[in-house]
Amino acid sequence: MSKEVDRLLPLPPAVLHILIALGDEAKHGYAVMQDVAERTDGKVRMSPGTLYGSIRKMLDDGLIEELFRPGDDERRRYYRVTKFGRAVAAAEAVRLTSLLRHARLNGLVPRNG
Amino acid sequence: MRRGRLFRLITWLYPVEFRERFGGEMEAAYRDARTEAAGRGRRGAAEFWIGVAADALLQAPGEHMRILLEDLRHAARSLRRAKMFALVAIATLALGIGANTAIFSVVHAVAFAALPNREPDRLVRLWEKNDRLRIPRFSVSVPNYYSWTERVKSFEQLGAWRQNATTMTTGGEPQRVATLEATWTLLPMLGITPIAGRSFTADEDRPRQPPVVILTESIWRSRLGGDPAAIGKQIVLNDISHTVVGIVTDRAFVTQVHVIVPLAADLAQENRSNHVATVIGRLKPGVSLAQAQQEMDAIALQLGKEYPKDDADWGVTMATFYDWIIPQTIRTGLYLLLASVGVVLLIACTNIANLTLARGALRRREQAVRLALGAGRGRLVREVLTESVLLAMVGGTVGVGIAYWAVPLLRTQLTTILPRADRIGLNVPVLLFALGISVVTGLLFGAIPALLNSRRDVIAALKDESRGAGSRHQSVARRLLVVGQLALATMLLAGAGLLMQSFIRLQHVDLGFLPERLTTAMVGLPAARYPDQPARWQFYSRVIADLENTPGVEAVGASSGAPLAGGFTGQPVSAQGPNALGAERLQVDWRMVTPGYFKSMGIPILRGRTFASEDRAGTPGVVVVSAELARRFWQDEDPLGKSVVTNIPYRIVGVVGDVRSTNPAADARPTMYYSSTQQTPGQMALTIRTRGEIPVAATVRKAVSAIDPQLAVFNVRTMETLITTSTAQPRVTAWLVGMFALLALLLAAIGVYGVLAYLVTQRTREIGLRMALGATRWSVLRLVVGHSFRLSAIGIAIGVAAAAWLGPMIESLLFGVRSRDAATLAAAAGGLLAVALLASYIPARRATRVDPLTALRTE
Repeated sequence: MSKEVDRLLPLPPAVLHILIALGDEAKHGYAVMQDVAERTDGKVRMSPGTLYGSIRKMLDDGLIEELFRPGDDERRRYYRVTKFGRAVAAAEAVRLTSLLRHARLNGLVPRNG
Repeated sequence: MRRGRLFRLITWLYPVEFRERFGGEMEAAYRDARTEAAGRGRRGAAEFWIGVAADALLQAPGEHMRILLEDLRHAARSLRRAKMFALVAIATLALGIGANTAIFSVVHAVAFAALPNREPDRLVRLWEKNDRLRIPRFSVSVPNYYSWTERVKSFEQLGAWRQNATTMTTGGEPQRVATLEATWTLLPMLGITPIAGRSFTADEDRPRQPPVVILTESIWRSRLGGDPAAIGKQIVLNDISHTVVGIVTDRAFVTQVHVIVPLAADLAQENRSNHVATVIGRLKPGVSLAQAQQEMDAIALQLGKEYPKDDADWGVTMATFYDWIIPQTIRTGLYLLLASVGVVLLIACTNIANLTLARGALRRREQAVRLALGAGRGRLVREVLTESVLLAMVGGTVGVGIAYWAVPLLRTQLTTILPRADRIGLNVPVLLFALGISVVTGLLFGAIPALLNSRRDVIAALKDESRGAGSRHQSVARRLLVVGQLALATMLLAGAGLLMQSFIRLQHVDLGFLPERLTTAMVGLPAARYPDQPARWQFYSRVIADLENTPGVEAVGASSGAPLAGGFTGQPVSAQGPNALGAERLQVDWRMVTPGYFKSMGIPILRGRTFASEDRAGTPGVVVVSAELARRFWQDEDPLGKSVVTNIPYRIVGVVGDVRSTNPAADARPTMYYSSTQQTPGQMALTIRTRGEIPVAATVRKAVSAIDPQLAVFNVRTMETLITTSTAQPRVTAWLVGMFALLALLLAAIGVYGVLAYLVTQRTREIGLRMALGATRWSVLRLVVGHSFRLSAIGIAIGVAAAAWLGPMIESLLFGVRSRDAATLAAAAGGLLAVALLASYIPARRATRVDPLTALRTE
């Protein structure tokens, strides 16, 4: 498991953003785009191409899965994070935290930042 | 609405799998995002559209690339599992693509590559012509050239040269060098810049100026050792000292040139009816060939009125530089070669397509399972195509390796035969061609299996487990492929047969003289030391006498131009007294020959005599004429004692046999021989017939230098070499097309074998059942061979029809055989039928050995 997790690290920013957006609940594609934009105060706006390119890759890698909700609009497929996806996100978070810690220790980041 | 369609279009830029999975969602997301972006004003809209552009330009190609890599990995894996198939396919493709690349390198260098001159499209070669004398193209007289330059407006510039040979005595043994007497305009007009020094000035191109010379690079290296300080030095040509003013590369010229001197024509001395100059013009921008022709027609008409004696009936004809340098027959030959080798590749393609189909039949279940699991048909088609293109690329790479080895070989073989053949090489356009045909080949042999393998009914494929057999569509496709192959091979074999026959006929054509044990060697006397006829005749008669007294020499003669060795001269003559042509003049070849010339050549004297010592300079002129000339003027009457007239009458003292003097494929032309006892040219070809093996070149050099050590002997060639050279082009074409035809035959045989072997496997149970029910081996044999016969008959019939239809296109390459020669077509058809039946023998035998019990048990 951990070997497969490591293989995917570091995650591309778009993938991490999508994992975060899907962290609390399953969403459809456009909702992910909106969530990312809100979370970043509009600084990160994904295009549909980037979004679905990433979704395709994440589905293939097993980070997320499609959620079937009978009766839903065909065009509004919902995606949610898999167990494996959570493990990968956690590993990435650990990696980033440690990176951040080293940056702080070397005085590259303000301590209160 | 319109923008909605745009979003759909963007999803179409993605691979089909991606689109099927996410297309609808993406479209919706685009629409939502646009609405949202519109709410954020201009900046939001700009951000949105930049994102859209990035998706179209980066994301979509990225997805394609990913799928391509995946397909390639898949293809490589599946080829590794089928090593034998891959090996056979790659070897076949390598040969096919390699041969095509090699031949294309020739076609490219000779026919396609741009001429090295500046704006070559505007360069035109001009000739004089005379419709009444039936002379379609003739050199231009120097006075006419100057009259043209004064009048013509269509051309930016005209330039002319006269070819000559001089003896160079600087830098070693006397050497005969090819000399161009050129107007000062010629080099700049052709766009030739000297690599050192300069071109001639207008002043240097006037009579009685200090002699100057431009050297070509090769002679500068061989005679002056590539001396960097050669400019300004003196070299001696024909005993006259010339100042070197420039050096140019050899490649700049069409013909072989060693030195260039100014034409420096003295119009007071030039003869308006002496047609000796080659004229080139550069059209003004925007002037067409037709417009220039119109203007030249008018000028020629005007000159005809001004100089009726010399120019009446003389017109002007022209061709682009390209059409002149690369004549139509050469291009036809090259295109034929390219088409032939292309056909071979096409046949190879069909074989591999057949193999792929057979393999597809084996992989049928795997693919059916994948189809059932939801893999798109597009995906399967693409996988097969990726595999076939991958195969073709590997084959193409090996093929380029083959071409790398073959191209230098072709270059050395063809340099003497084709113009510009020294430029043949594996250059960028040739490599691009190799890449192009590799891809096209891969798509071609992959397309049919790809479409057929993916269209099948999933359920049927999954149910039908045991047979590994293809669908009905497939077996029809396989038979069509074999029929196509056989048709192509028949065409090629028929073409090769025609060319071979032409070549063989050319080998056995009666030249009119005996080429065995015959050698020609040229000698040129400089005018400075041999100013008049008696001096020249004294030299030649002494050399001939000395050579005739040499052991091993049977007979010696000399002519102003030996057959097949160049030095062709012609002029119009009329006959005196009553004759078939009346006062009309006949264009005839003329030569000046020594009395012993006919004997040395083995040209039979049919009537009268050859020249004798009493035909001296100062006595009335005598000629010997060819049988054809006599026939044209006097039919069956005896021509002896009658006279032909040039400007003065010449009495006919003898009639000799006709000689094919320019080319074995061309009919013998009416010819007239002047006596060199009366008129002796400075340059003559000695014709030496030997008895045994003697070193002819050394013998001639010794005899010549014994009389005058300053003279050069050049162009020493046996008549057999000259014949080989003059028939080299048809020989090479015939051999190459013949080779390709054999290859095509072999490949077609393999194709037929493959299809029948497959058929027998497919019908093993049926055959077993038949045999169990009492069918004889003979009837089983007939079943299989009959199948082969039907396929072959259709293919061959199509091939024969196509050959008959396309035949006239190669008519110009044929000699002594018509392009729709029934015997050749029949032989090609018969040959193919025999090979096809032979190829069906092994499968047929296997069918007769089917054991009914085993066959039925597998049911």
